[in-house]
Amino acid sequence: VDLQEFRAGLDDWLGAHGPELAPVHDGAGTLEQQLAQLAKVKRHTFDAGWMRWGWPEQVGGLGGSTLLRAYLGEALTTADLVEPGIYSMTEVLAPTMIGYAPPPLAAAMVPRLLRGEETWCQGFSEPGTGSNLAALACRAVRDGERWLVSGQKVWTSLAQHAQRCVLLVRTGTPESAHRGVTALFVDMDSPGITVRPIETMHGVPEFCEVFFDDVAVPTERTLGDEGQGWAVAMDLLPFERSTALWHRGAHLQHRLGQLLERAPADSLDPMALGETVQLLAALRARSRATQHRMAAGERLGPETSVDKVLLATAEQQLFDLAEGALAEDVLLGDDPIAARWRSEFLYSRAATIYGGSAEIQRNIIARRLLGLGDDR
Amino acid sequence: MDGTEHRLFEDAVRRAVDAHAGDPAALDGALAELGWADALAVDPRVAISILFERQGAANATSSAIGHVLGAGLGARGAGPTAGEEESASPRGYVLPALGTWDPPGSQGDDSFVVRALGTATSTAPESIVVPTRVADGSVAICTVPRRGLTLVPVHGLDPGLDLVTAHMDADSIGDGSISIGDWPAVVGLARMALGHELVGAAGAMLELARSHALEREQFGRPIAAFQAVRHRLADTLVAVEGARALLDAAWDDGGPDMVATAKAVAGRAARVAARHCQQVLAGMGFTTEHPLHRYVRRVLVLDELFGSARTLTTELGRRLVAGGPLPVPIPL
Repeated sequence: VDLQEFRAGLDDWLGAHGPELAPVHDGAGTLEQQLAQLAKVKRHTFDAGWMRWGWPEQVGGLGGSTLLRAYLGEALTTADLVEPGIYSMTEVLAPTMIGYAPPPLAAAMVPRLLRGEETWCQGFSEPGTGSNLAALACRAVRDGERWLVSGQKVWTSLAQHAQRCVLLVRTGTPESAHRGVTALFVDMDSPGITVRPIETMHGVPEFCEVFFDDVAVPTERTLGDEGQGWAVAMDLLPFERSTALWHRGAHLQHRLGQLLERAPADSLDPMALGETVQLLAALRARSRATQHRMAAGERLGPETSVDKVLLATAEQQLFDLAEGALAEDVLLGDDPIAARWRSEFLYSRAATIYGGSAEIQRNIIARRLLGLGDDR
Repeated sequence: MDGTEHRLFEDAVRRAVDAHAGDPAALDGALAELGWADALAVDPRVAISILFERQGAANATSSAIGHVLGAGLGARGAGPTAGEEESASPRGYVLPALGTWDPPGSQGDDSFVVRALGTATSTAPESIVVPTRVADGSVAICTVPRRGLTLVPVHGLDPGLDLVTAHMDADSIGDGSISIGDWPAVVGLARMALGHELVGAAGAMLELARSHALEREQFGRPIAAFQAVRHRLADTLVAVEGARALLDAAWDDGGPDMVATAKAVAGRAARVAARHCQQVLAGMGFTTEHPLHRYVRRVLVLDELFGSARTLTTELGRRLVAGGPLPVPIPL
């Protein structure tokens, strides 16, 4: 299947199955409603085959170019069928499993994620470890055929709903920095795990604190080798800035169209509007090139930080524009459509914080792309 | 062009531009010799992107934009001629006045008016091509004798461009000749060429600032170690890469909206580069002993040709506010 065929076939299928795929809620919905909708859409698209294209056959996929995944996410998000943030977590977690899990584990687990039977989370950040990932302290010690995990994670998206977690732990000495980190695949119903959702400013409690108290994890749930966790994390991060980012860019483009429809007369400054349209076009052009590089088998690396800076800049500019033009909605409106504009405006404030802050992306660009050396 | 041809062509263009960066007439000669105009006819994307990006990077000028006008108008011959056409007398050309993309000439019932910008080289031949809006609204390629134009050399912000203003106020085109041309195609190709030249210049400024930041030490370490400096340069790279990606997308897409967006974003990226790199180069970049000032001057002028970032952006916004459709996003 090539992209043109896939696009035409998917567009027809989405047109024919609109009613059964449509969300039951208005506006953005609660997190629970969004997750139920996501599971429904994933199940239908998996069973019809669409969700399986672009993934390898050994994890339940049908093979084919990763461009097919990029287009599927674009089509689903621009039809308002899925919330792009939670949809695209698959794009980060599944490649990690394919790359590092023992093959039987990947074969057993990845289809559950693709079909929407399970929700997974990613346990990286800690209270003392935000941008400086190599300082992580959540410990795992070897006890025969199992690891015993103790410590805390934070900003763990969807942990309260997750069945599994890709978890980074320290297995080396406290001084071992990035060399002593190991990645584990943890069942979230293991005894000793406590999850506390965090109320956020945009009204969606998607982030959690996760506490581990001597949690037993079988050693066959190690992703990669002991001490290879840094490589797992570094391989995973560019995925956050490739397909997932294409989906988000498509979502922003879609919201821009909705902003133009909803904005009252004379509420949009032509210069600011024009610039936003151009920023989104530049993001899309850049991300498109990244999708094609990935599809050609190129290994993605620090150059994807450019994509992330473009995304965060465009996202904040779009919602700044929306906040000004739709002030009535964002400040006073309580109907579902207004509440969605408010929530997304507030969430856009985090675009320069999550997934590597704006400052970290610029540090990566300076060191890795411009060769400016260390900043110390 | 296949891969090898492409590489050989790129090397040849690069050598020509670098060897004659300060001498437009010599660069024109070298481009004629390597067959750049033929490449333009065969593969405009390759010819334009390679030459203009390099021209921007080397702070060079040539009459190549004249060939681009000719290519867009469907007529070879604006600018210096090459190969078998060499015997024909070369024709010069003029561009729209600063900030505009209207054809530089306009013909009324009993008037022929030219408000144009050229360079010393482009207006040297005895016959000058003046794209002209004629009475029925279409655009014609007028060729007028040089002596009919009032040509005034411009020193201005960027003396290195050898700019010339060209004026004419006449009752009719007189001795000139006319044929019909495709003006929107000219505007599109010219914007692509200028976009590449702006991006090339922005990349060169970034490289100047980058090497300075690595060499210049203060407080016992290179200023490249200071985050305030690093982030300015990182922002410059993001701006340049965004513009580059849009130029590629515009070649793929080909529509006028995408081309205008690519030109506007390239102009803005070049201004971002000028601002950040000037700051990083500090006192050095403020002197005429350092090359930065030539790039700063150049990009401000290039941005204004065929519509500036500001004008094109406002025009796009106004059209949308008036209820016009959003430009169709480039497909995956």
